[in-house]
Amino acid sequence: MEHFALWLAAFLTLGIISFLYKDNAWYKLTEAIFVGLSAGYWFVTLFWDNFYGKFWIGKGEHAYLYVGAFLGLLMLLRLIPKIGWISRWPLSFIVGATSGLWLINYFSSNIMKQVQATIFPLFSSQYGAGFDAGAATVIGNLVIFLGTFTGLVYFFFSKEHKGAFGYTAKVGIWVIMITFGASFGYTVMSRMSLFIGRIDFLLSDWLGMIL
Amino acid sequence: MKRGVPLIITFVVGTVLIFSVFIPPMENLGENFTLFFDIIAVFAFFLGGGNLLRVHLTKLTRRKRDWEYSIVTIVGFFFMLACGLFKIGNPGDISASLTAEGSWFQTIYDNVFVPLGSTMYALLAFFVASASYRAFRAKNREATILLIAAFIILLGRTPLGTFVTGWIPDSFSVLQIPNLAIWIMNSPNLAGQRAIMIGIGLGVVSMSLRLILGIERTYLGGEDK
Amino acid sequence: MVVPARAVPEPADSLKADSVEIIIAPPTSPVVSDFKYDDGNSLILTWVPSIDDLPVGGKVLSYHIFRSDNGGEAKKIAELIPGANYYKDEDLYSDTNYAYHVVALSSNSRAASFQTASIRPQREWVNLNLKYLFFIALIIAASVIYFIETAKRGKKLFVRKIAGLEAVDEAIGRATEMGRTILFIPGIHDMDDVQTLAAITILGRVSRVVADYDTKIRMPVARSLVMTAARETIKASYMSAGRPDAYNDDMVNYVTDEQFGYVAAVDGIMVREKPATIFLLGAFFAESLILAETGNSVGAIQIAGTARPAQLPFFIAACDFTLIGEELFAASAYLSGEPKQLGSLKGQDVGKGIAMLAILLGVLLSTIAAVGDTETITDILNFITRVFTVTN
Repeated sequence: MEHFALWLAAFLTLGIISFLYKDNAWYKLTEAIFVGLSAGYWFVTLFWDNFYGKFWIGKGEHAYLYVGAFLGLLMLLRLIPKIGWISRWPLSFIVGATSGLWLINYFSSNIMKQVQATIFPLFSSQYGAGFDAGAATVIGNLVIFLGTFTGLVYFFFSKEHKGAFGYTAKVGIWVIMITFGASFGYTVMSRMSLFIGRIDFLLSDWLGMIL
Repeated sequence: MKRGVPLIITFVVGTVLIFSVFIPPMENLGENFTLFFDIIAVFAFFLGGGNLLRVHLTKLTRRKRDWEYSIVTIVGFFFMLACGLFKIGNPGDISASLTAEGSWFQTIYDNVFVPLGSTMYALLAFFVASASYRAFRAKNREATILLIAAFIILLGRTPLGTFVTGWIPDSFSVLQIPNLAIWIMNSPNLAGQRAIMIGIGLGVVSMSLRLILGIERTYLGGEDK
Repeated sequence: MVVPARAVPEPADSLKADSVEIIIAPPTSPVVSDFKYDDGNSLILTWVPSIDDLPVGGKVLSYHIFRSDNGGEAKKIAELIPGANYYKDEDLYSDTNYAYHVVALSSNSRAASFQTASIRPQREWVNLNLKYLFFIALIIAASVIYFIETAKRGKKLFVRKIAGLEAVDEAIGRATEMGRTILFIPGIHDMDDVQTLAAITILGRVSRVVADYDTKIRMPVARSLVMTAARETIKASYMSAGRPDAYNDDMVNYVTDEQFGYVAAVDGIMVREKPATIFLLGAFFAESLILAETGNSVGAIQIAGTARPAQLPFFIAACDFTLIGEELFAASAYLSGEPKQLGSLKGQDVGKGIAMLAILLGVLLSTIAAVGDTETITDILNFITRVFTVTN
């Protein structure tokens, strides 16, 4: 059984990798297995975790959970064309709730906290002497301050990016590009190690080669 | 009824949830919504899963291109459903943990899902390489900046960075690539992140308001059925 | 020499009479107070640690918190590490009286503080900790609404061009000319993510053009609810274009909730159907680059956008146009071209103005305060910082 599982895993791994060459029957088979099994997997998980775990067990103590189930049932009315439009009610409930919840969440975490974090002194008498300790910190502080400021200028919608405003916005997009470059560079290595991990599985776990 | 009621629901639910944050006796409303959502999602799956089956059954019965693979998908779907819903192979009865060791559900997860998912994820190594190559060829200033920053960070995370710039005297050590990488992460990167995050926050506030006020209503469909 | 094996020390609660006691001083001044701005379900207990609780060579090994409900027997409710002087007791009832005492434990002795007064948790109706959050949110929301109303009354509002959105018409036109499909990928999250909502609102605009041009649109999704919302949206567009018969539910289909299973299927669709145009808008994770690179390899023109900063660089590298963060949320308003929608973008700019002003003032004042130490300036600075500090 263990042997079979190993060969199956290797078969599927190679099936996915074969896509890099081109679309082919092996990949299509792997894809079909993946889609079918995973859709089933998710339904099972939703059923046991959400329906059974959250609704069925909790409904005795928390009667309000019936509201969720009722909305869910309304959703299924889509299957009856004549009254399918009622399914817009749960949908609009979700849209309203998502909007309301995220409005305040994002407002607090993305606006308030970020502004607050950007309020800091550019210089301080506590910085030591020497280029590293003093100047580098001050330059770093200035970059954070000006970078955030110009980055926000870039996002302004109601003014054309022209003249001095345009230049400021340009600096802003450069700062944003450095940010993107940084997270790009930061991720490259970890992505490489993922692939090395799969090759390692094929060579050592499956083929038994010692690396 | 068809558009009016949904618009009212969106408005009322959205407004109540916004205010609930400021009113301690209502502080659990947000969590309750999450619960409702999770429950609605189960019912909705009947629509999604039903659609998946319909698409593949149509493909199969009409002998469309690649119909053979649809058999695999359908069989796989029902197989997984059976394994999980009836907890086949689970030690104990139906109340046993779904993911108990030895259950078919977990075995398939470990031996089919994990290799499939992690291999798909691992393809990124190639795509990162091809994307970097394309960025390298791009001739505009923005792409160049992106690439230089990426290159410094990448070098900074490898011994090569120390090797190449180790000769720089300590008083200018910030110019050594590993230190420069840290500086980029802590200064310009941070500034960019903040500008983006503040922008996103404002975007969300504005879009949410448009939805709650019913100005944005494309998702509600038309007036007929 | 045979050394007798030492018994494992018993927990201090069950002391052995014959061992040498390590005497410690008790914690002092225990005070219980109401936790402010909650639903009447938490209390805060503070105390002064035992004088034998030292960072180095201290004899206190732990603190045990005991609680008596309505004058009943005190029961242990928590164990804390040395150095602790604070405990928040949650999940209480506002109709019960609670009193506490703290016990410090050495390896073989214990010393209890006296008991606190008995109090009930109070329920507050408004969370005053969040008053500034409320006011600033109110100002920004009010300015969004103000500009929406101004625009409704017919005042012309300028909004700058956003390249990625200017390209939408052209991208759809290209697919029409080539007789190929448009692929719309709304991310992998469900309708409880605002990014998905943004994607659906953009879909409303895109599908309207698609309906006018009579182009084919294909939308595989990873969530059942997104499927439903997308169908409603596309259908509405076809109806407003006067072509309800051309709409078909099969334009949107569910694949699987599984992240990489979905990606495997979408990649397959991309290479087999070779769409002329691909929209990647919504919440994306590691799959962003797999999708964008595959789309690129089939020669599609790609317009992407997400609010996840970590995925944006990959879209920038692999797509023709990328909507960065805020632009994603502004997109549907922009594409609609309706004055009231554009008005809301103006309102956002007011928010940006407030943020920039606060940062500018804050940095200026804190720099002056750090260098010159002026009391008034420090006061103003503290006020600004307090306004933007969110405490729950």
